[in-house]
Amino acid sequence: MRGMRVLQRGLSHQMGAGEITRLHGPNGAGKTTLLRAIAGRLRPAAGVIACDVPIIYVGHADALAAARSGRDNLADWARLNGFDAQRDRITAVLSDMSATSFADLPARVLSRGQRRRLSLARLLLGPKTALWLLDEPSTGLDSAAASQLDAMIGRHLDGGGMVMAATHLPLAAVHNGGTLTLQAPA
Amino acid sequence: MNILFAQMRRDLALIWAGRGEAAVMLAFFLIIITLFPLAIGPDVATLRPMALPVIWIAALLASLAGFSRIFAEDVRSGWVDQVALSPLPLGIYALSKAVTHWLAGGLPMLLATPVLALMLYVDLESLAPLILALAIGTMALTLLGVLAAALGEGARNGGSLMALLVLPLAVPVLIFGTLASTPDDGGLLSPHMLLLMAVLAVLLAIVPVAAAAALVEAETDSS
Repeated sequence: MRGMRVLQRGLSHQMGAGEITRLHGPNGAGKTTLLRAIAGRLRPAAGVIACDVPIIYVGHADALAAARSGRDNLADWARLNGFDAQRDRITAVLSDMSATSFADLPARVLSRGQRRRLSLARLLLGPKTALWLLDEPSTGLDSAAASQLDAMIGRHLDGGGMVMAATHLPLAAVHNGGTLTLQAPA
Repeated sequence: MNILFAQMRRDLALIWAGRGEAAVMLAFFLIIITLFPLAIGPDVATLRPMALPVIWIAALLASLAGFSRIFAEDVRSGWVDQVALSPLPLGIYALSKAVTHWLAGGLPMLLATPVLALMLYVDLESLAPLILALAIGTMALTLLGVLAAALGEGARNGGSLMALLVLPLAVPVLIFGTLASTPDDGGLLSPHMLLLMAVLAVLLAIVPVAAAAALVEAETDSS
């Protein structure tokens, strides 16, 4: 439900370890709304959403403080969640995302793709079993970073993690999973 | 607990990065107080009875001047979403904002008060109760400011309206604060001081809950 308007009725979906769900649907069908509902930021008008693993949400907003460096932003986030925020760990994650060269600049001077890389780097800081909720994760990424993201999602699924992504790209195409197609609201 | 300290560390770093804004609060406080003797004239007999009310009103206005942006950046950037998903409760997050906001705004005002008080001919004996009452009072005002800021985010465009709704709640702080600054018997812990502390205690209990409820509704622009 969004702005006193019911977007989707009778939606039912289930996913298990190592599975990916690709959310499809036209603009305004409620992909972001569904992801935010699963993240607990919106209440469904009816029904139950249950999840027994930690959730990591990467939405449109990158949750980077403009005045803090990418490295500090990641460390802040890791500490907020009680994850390992050691300098070595952050450095390793930054180099995995090819973000080392701009990691010490304040987030305000970074390009959209660079900020997106930093917010995606959070995914690597969390536990292996987490459910990743990704809202158009490849927006602003160049093709190298997009294929890096694809490989990252693949590794996460192989490790027993789960991914739900609103995307029009065939992310992690070789892995188990389904497509959940949302119809445009009437 | 570690998570709370991590959040406070982040908030302090952000305040330090934008320290100009905190300095504006202090400058506002200084200027309001300096304007009074300029307008009224340097006469001891007129200035002295007005000194404490003037300091209190300046503290109230300055405390509430800087609050509207407390959560704006975090809501817009999506940090509040991340806090909501983290083990840190939103109420404690709001409390962390209040503590850091007070350290940046309230504490400098307290440090400047002795000099300003002398300028307005406040007796040295009543300096101690004034500082103590101001310390408690500015903490209470900061909590009210945090509440107003959270309500403003929750109500999206209703920010200024919410500020108007919260300002009357600052009246008890003003009343007990000015009375506690001039105790009849000269003692530090006058009944008014205790009542001021009670106001602070009530706010400490209510504000995290109310602010958390407001922040649950606060949303990023999904652009």
